[in-house]
Amino acid sequence: MSVELIWALITGAALFGVGIYGALSQTNLVMIMMGVELILAGALINLVAFWRYLHPDVAAGQMFVLIVMTVMALEMAVGFGIAIARFRSRGSVEMEEAAELKE
Amino acid sequence: MITAQAIFIGFFGVAAVWFGIVVFRTFSMVRSAIALLFSQTALGAMFLTMEVEFLGVLQIMMMATEMSIMAFFMVMFMMDPGGMGKMDMTHQKRLSMITGIVSFCAAVAIAVFVDWGPIAVTVIDSAAQTKALGLELLGRSMLIFETAGITILTAMIAATAVAIKPIPLKKQIKDKAK
Repeated sequence: MSVELIWALITGAALFGVGIYGALSQTNLVMIMMGVELILAGALINLVAFWRYLHPDVAAGQMFVLIVMTVMALEMAVGFGIAIARFRSRGSVEMEEAAELKE
Repeated sequence: MITAQAIFIGFFGVAAVWFGIVVFRTFSMVRSAIALLFSQTALGAMFLTMEVEFLGVLQIMMMATEMSIMAFFMVMFMMDPGGMGKMDMTHQKRLSMITGIVSFCAAVAIAVFVDWGPIAVTVIDSAAQTKALGLELLGRSMLIFETAGITILTAMIAATAVAIKPIPLKKQIKDKAK
């Protein structure tokens, strides 16, 4: 068992846990997006570690990392678009004030 | 055996997690965005330590830009961006904490108890890695790569469309009457 791989996976797990905590506990849309960024960062480190220590001969592993980075950028772009629209209509991006979106 | 690479991975890993925690502990939104930037940069440094140079540099460059934009948005949208009022902007803290810890423990258990098979000690040099990635992107995985490109374009259009200031209904009716 490789110490490097295990440490990288533990880092990924910790970032995932912190991200889950942030995404569930924050009331502001931008802070929730930060939590989601940390969750994706956890996935990112796992993918890199798996590629590096288990299958360095297959380049498709690195491609998965590029796809996750794309998802991170998309999440930010669409999230900020929604934040601007919400701020214009209600003057706030607090999610506790957005209960009407459920209806 | 603990190698120099393992020590650096551990160091940058602790830094990434620590700054990740700071994101939700500080009251200042700018500090929060900068902490997230440091967390992502530490992750990029981990990639460099793992000899994955292209992705490491890409990670640091992308996140530096992304987090700078995020800091601007946070200052614009937050009620107390400087954190001087020490406003508590959290809810269901206990549930979130428990869910976070349970997810962490489950992921660690999988990482530690699964037999990952043979470990690759060496890796091809960075130039060969980048070449192989380029060939992969423009060869076998081209459709996936192109789909990612189209998705980015769609998200850009969608984000702009959502963010554009809507024309008031009265003005729309007035323009139609003309």
